Amino acid sequence: MSEKNNPTAESSTQEFVITRIFDAPRELVWKAWTERERLMEWFGPKGFTMSTAKMDFRPGGSFHYCLRSPDGKEMWGKFVYREIVAPERIVLVNSFSDAAGGLTRHPMSPTWPLEMLSTTTFVERGGKTTLTIKWKPLNPTEEERKTFDRAHGGMTQGWTGTFEQLAEYLAKG
Amino acid sequence: MARLATTSDVFNAVAEPQRRRILNLLTRGERPVNFIAVSLRYKQPQVSKHLRVLREVGLVSVRGAGQQRLYKLNGKRLKPIHDWAKTFETFWNESFDRLDDYLNRLQAKEKSHERKE
Repeated sequence: MSEKNNPTAESSTQEFVITRIFDAPRELVWKAWTERERLMEWFGPKGFTMSTAKMDFRPGGSFHYCLRSPDGKEMWGKFVYREIVAPERIVLVNSFSDAAGGLTRHPMSPTWPLEMLSTTTFVERGGKTTLTIKWKPLNPTEEERKTFDRAHGGMTQGWTGTFEQLAEYLAKG
Repeated sequence: MARLATTSDVFNAVAEPQRRRILNLLTRGERPVNFIAVSLRYKQPQVSKHLRVLREVGLVSVRGAGQQRLYKLNGKRLKPIHDWAKTFETFWNESFDRLDDYLNRLQAKEKSHERKE
């Protein structure tokens, strides 16, 4: 691949991080992410269905999908795979898209970064798999970076793991 | 009169990681500035500066108690930020719930196959 990473230019911004432990071997979790039919089974919020899914799982290849919400709205998105290390790591560029596969802006936030670099890691321990996804804006404009950083302030993971306390506190009003 | 702080000011205020840590600490209750500085190993003037920003946007309030000034978190001001970020988190949390179900179904199927053989 001719694309080069430029980590120093992107490191000014913090990453979004989400982690979950699954009670399944890594091989199985990996398949669920990398095989089209399996990915269609779970990707998207509750009640959403994947109406279109074109997958070309290799570095430089892409996954182009459409999620349909329970009230019939369509949301198109695209992954472009950059790095695949089976069964450990996937690096991809994540963006919103149109039906033709062209990149589009976030439907609710026009200054949201056009492209996000996402790194997913799969670590197995004692038959369970820890999945971690990290996101950061890819070559963001100043405005995109600001939008991302502000949103980061609201992310529970940005609150160094004490979200439960905070949630409790918020619940008390 | 000072202008009212807007929601976007609140977003700016919490975009700074040290200020988030201070807010986290205050979820446990009212604290004086020196306690915050020692707990988080920040210099006191730095903490005072952050607290001033947090007060200006209404995330924190202060009251005098004897010799001390106690800082208190105003959780209501945080809500809009949580709501905004929720969309992204909901997407992934719910996807992960579905993945969890899917993996469990697959493994249950495998086990029942094993038993038949």
